[in-house]
Amino acid sequence: MAGFLAQARFIIGALAVALVLAIAAPASAQQPTSVNPTAASVKEQQLLNALGSGGSVSGRVTIPDQKSGNLIHPAGRDWRQFHEVTLRWIGAIAILGMLILLVVFYLVRGQVKLESGYSGRRIVRFNAFERFVHWMTATCFIILALTGLNITFGKPLLLPLIGEPAFANWAQWAKYAHNYLSFPFAIGVFCIFLIWIAGNIPNRVDVEWTKRGGGIVGHDHPPAYRFNAGQKMIYWIVVIGGTAVAVTGYLLMFPFYVTDIAGMQLAQTVHAIIAVLFVAVMLAHIYIGTIGMEGAFEAMGEGTVDVNWAREHHPLWLAQENARTGPNESQRQPMATPAE
Amino acid sequence: MQSFVLACVAAIVVAAIAGFALNSVQKPVDEAYSTTAVRL
Repeated sequence: MAGFLAQARFIIGALAVALVLAIAAPASAQQPTSVNPTAASVKEQQLLNALGSGGSVSGRVTIPDQKSGNLIHPAGRDWRQFHEVTLRWIGAIAILGMLILLVVFYLVRGQVKLESGYSGRRIVRFNAFERFVHWMTATCFIILALTGLNITFGKPLLLPLIGEPAFANWAQWAKYAHNYLSFPFAIGVFCIFLIWIAGNIPNRVDVEWTKRGGGIVGHDHPPAYRFNAGQKMIYWIVVIGGTAVAVTGYLLMFPFYVTDIAGMQLAQTVHAIIAVLFVAVMLAHIYIGTIGMEGAFEAMGEGTVDVNWAREHHPLWLAQENARTGPNESQRQPMATPAE
Repeated sequence: MQSFVLACVAAIVVAAIAGFALNSVQKPVDEAYSTTAVRL
């Protein structure tokens, strides 16, 4: 009898041990994703292991923002590497590369001249509202670009030149300007989308225009409607790129309202890459709209272009305008009837 | 030129309105991320 009881105690004891091990096994198999650095039994090696496996080192805080209890998050190092190193390389290559390209192009090709000369007759190219929208968006973009580039390049380039106090003041006001001018910029992008969408749908004429390189090399003048393929490309870059920087910018402006820290790092990465490429593309747009092409700036400057300019660069549009209003209605003397 | 000036004025006005609107709905960082027992 005593032997039976001893055997039963052994079996029950073995079962109890097995049960405890079975319950404990899944927990011990899991890798900790976060280590509490303030725990009494925490060891330094645990902290190092947590950092190495992509986890984080978190503690407890008493202030409302519990996220500040996250002491070290290794994913942040990848993001820091991006905005401190990679982004600067991307931005420098894109912007300086475009500037060099434009200078070389200007030196080799020179200004695209109005080959048939000025006729003295003008045609309305952009009305007052279109120019208003363009300039509102453009002025905001220039300030957004400069203040945005300050975030990326200000510390290594500007800070050593002007010193810490001046840079701190400038950076603070630049940040305000960047945030607040984003609103008129976003409104401008939306208006641009609406007012010029009809003329910017790609068509077969654009294929021919593109095949002939837009006539930018040599003296070719491929036909185009109101907007040629190059202008349509700029339009869609502004609409899509402008929307993308606006959306990602507002995600950053309202931290943690919509996304977590990983989402904000992604938003900043997308925002910054699109923005520097945007700046590079706009440099080309500014070039061809000013010194790159004779008579082009007048279109957005005063709203009219010379009829010969329209005939050389947008003959299909000129034909449409003549068919719509008649040559005498659409073409007029600029001095007698200014556009504004 | 008139369109350009009007565009600049409009941008400043919209930005100012946005600034006032944002400042009215968002708390400064020293308020948002601290308690009354914390001095930053």
